Amino acid sequence: MSYLLKLMLTEEYRMHARYSSRRMFLAFPAFVGLFSFAIGATSARLLEVTPLGQAVLMLHVSAFLYGLGVGAFGFLGAQYLERRHGDRNYIVAMPALLPMSFRRTFLGMYLRDAIFYVALVLGPMALGLVASVPLTGFRITSIGFLFLAALLSFLLGMSLSFFVSTLYMRSRIAFAGAVAVICGAFAAHGLFRLVPIETLLPGLAMHYALPPFAPPGGAALIAGLAGLGLIAACVAGALVLVPDQYEPRSKPEGEELPGVDARLGIARGYRILLAKEFVDLKRSGTVAKMFFSFVTPLIFLSFTAWFVRTGLRAPVGFNSVFYGGMVGFFGVLLYNWLNSVDSMDYYATLPVGVPTVIRTKLLAFLVLTTGISTAFVVGVSALHGDVRLLWLALPVMFVTSVYMVVMTAYLTGLRTNSFLFDPAILAQFSVLAVLPDLGLTILSFTVDRDPVFTVAGISLVLAALAIATLFLYRGLDRKWAGSSFTE
Amino acid sequence: MRRVKAIEARGLTKRYEGVTALDDVDLSIDAGEFFGLVGPNGAGKTTLLRILTGQLAPTHGTARVLGIDPAREPLRVKAAIGIVPEVESPPSYLTAAEYLYFVGRVRDVPRLQDAIDRWIGFFDLDEARGTICRDLSKGTRQKLMLAAAFLHAPDLLFLDEPFINLDPIHQRRLKDFLLEYGAAGHTVFMCSHLLEIAEKLCDHVAVIDRGRVIAQGSVAAVRRDEKDLETAFLRLVGERR
Repeated sequence: MSYLLKLMLTEEYRMHARYSSRRMFLAFPAFVGLFSFAIGATSARLLEVTPLGQAVLMLHVSAFLYGLGVGAFGFLGAQYLERRHGDRNYIVAMPALLPMSFRRTFLGMYLRDAIFYVALVLGPMALGLVASVPLTGFRITSIGFLFLAALLSFLLGMSLSFFVSTLYMRSRIAFAGAVAVICGAFAAHGLFRLVPIETLLPGLAMHYALPPFAPPGGAALIAGLAGLGLIAACVAGALVLVPDQYEPRSKPEGEELPGVDARLGIARGYRILLAKEFVDLKRSGTVAKMFFSFVTPLIFLSFTAWFVRTGLRAPVGFNSVFYGGMVGFFGVLLYNWLNSVDSMDYYATLPVGVPTVIRTKLLAFLVLTTGISTAFVVGVSALHGDVRLLWLALPVMFVTSVYMVVMTAYLTGLRTNSFLFDPAILAQFSVLAVLPDLGLTILSFTVDRDPVFTVAGISLVLAALAIATLFLYRGLDRKWAGSSFTE
Repeated sequence: MRRVKAIEARGLTKRYEGVTALDDVDLSIDAGEFFGLVGPNGAGKTTLLRILTGQLAPTHGTARVLGIDPAREPLRVKAAIGIVPEVESPPSYLTAAEYLYFVGRVRDVPRLQDAIDRWIGFFDLDEARGTICRDLSKGTRQKLMLAAAFLHAPDLLFLDEPFINLDPIHQRRLKDFLLEYGAAGHTVFMCSHLLEIAEKLCDHVAVIDRGRVIAQGSVAAVRRDEKDLETAFLRLVGERR
């Protein structure tokens, strides 16, 4: 197993490093460490606003959600096994040719990603906090406990995601049932307080039972063991569900493309490419994945806003304009999905350039998301009795969405997931994404105090974003015309 | 009378992080010629094909394909030619018929449905019509990629190992088609390991090894005194080992 794991780690590293450079890729953990150091160094101010217990809760919820996102090996493995990556093949598919089991390679994938993300994110995060000790006076042991507890939450998210996604490989009904149970458990906490959050996240329970919250004792040990038991049970369940032999589902399809093409006359030169995108999205099941990956952070955001308002009783005015800006931010996730549907190698033989395909994906993004985003902002406004600000919230949502996705397309082209591991691109992305969103968020909080100032400020930000969008959109040709689909 | 050149290359070189994949390659291929590029694995055949078809930019050197510079105008080159890549990778979620429809719409092929039906019939793809490409066998995907390259009846074809994965019936059918295609004055640039086929089909060949063209000319000229192209190839490449 250790030899296989070593090879899989090498494979993963090379896959990521080939899109930027080794140096840039290896700089990613340094970037995370630096960010963590900055958080540590400014923690005194941050903790004035958010008590340590709440900050730790947010850390664990984030680690858990991140793990959920990372661990969907049932989906990823199926993609690898179906060789959906054109001329690329992966070690996980080797049992088809070699005397080894898919269970072994799937376990390898789980361990590989656990190590990979600890080395890339959780480890550097802890080291960044350690580096801030001379400024903060944090105890090294407390940082060690934080690392272990956060790791437990991350691994629980990964394991749960691993289990549920492999369940999907066996039965979609069972998958839907499992998702309903998990959502039900979190809803039981979030909506009705029936289940304490520490019960759902043993890593958090362990953390609350360790310094600086409490002296180490049996409670921490029990929570830790419970967490490890849950993780082991999920991984074991997932491995039992991994099939011995993999046979992709095959069913005949009707000729849909000409019909979709005929209906998209409005898209002019992009018509056939856009039609293909829609057929791809439908048949690959990506539409459902996109929906969940868009809606989940929106629910998380709503939960956070609700928590800040009612749990922390902080006088923060989350209104429709705030949600409009945030919805735009999450559009990046959808653009990433659009680039992950299939390999694009076949485009290399056709008279189609990379910028044209990028523009097609942007069009697909607009068609797919405008409705959902509008519905979310209108729905949240109605729920909060804040419909009066919709006239401002909707333009904010629309301009921010388009800006965010065009900016992401400009920076990452058709390989969003890989390029965002390049610290230089990640740094540019962070500045270009966070600054305007921060501006809009702060302005949204002042709308009731000084409406004229707020509207003028927001209009200015939106105008700047619209101009930036235009420049970035026009720059797509210059930046991506020379790039290849297969390199 | 000077013949029109379909492909011309001068000093083509491609380097990747310390590795020279192609080293100062010159080529001159007349219109209507059936040209074969042969060489061992990793010799640089696919790299040269990808540069000539605008898929890859050279580190040095220039090329003209049907009078167009593929490095400067890759889309114009791709519009004028047909390409069958080394790896058959049609889009996973389109059916065989939909892929041909897609390619035909991108290339603006007139009377598209007739063209699709012709090539589906030629390669016996009827049963694959409604199957998404992800579920097709390797050989069927190869036939589909060939059909997609022929759909717009280009004047110049670039074929990278076109016979690999094909059954003997379709190998024969493809050979006959390519001979007719060449006889009609069209140009073929083919990379192949199958020296017997190359010897039968090609007017001219070039032998490439470790990124350098080590022999080039008519099949007879490259073969010299050897009994066949395979023996000549083994001598030429073997001398450098």
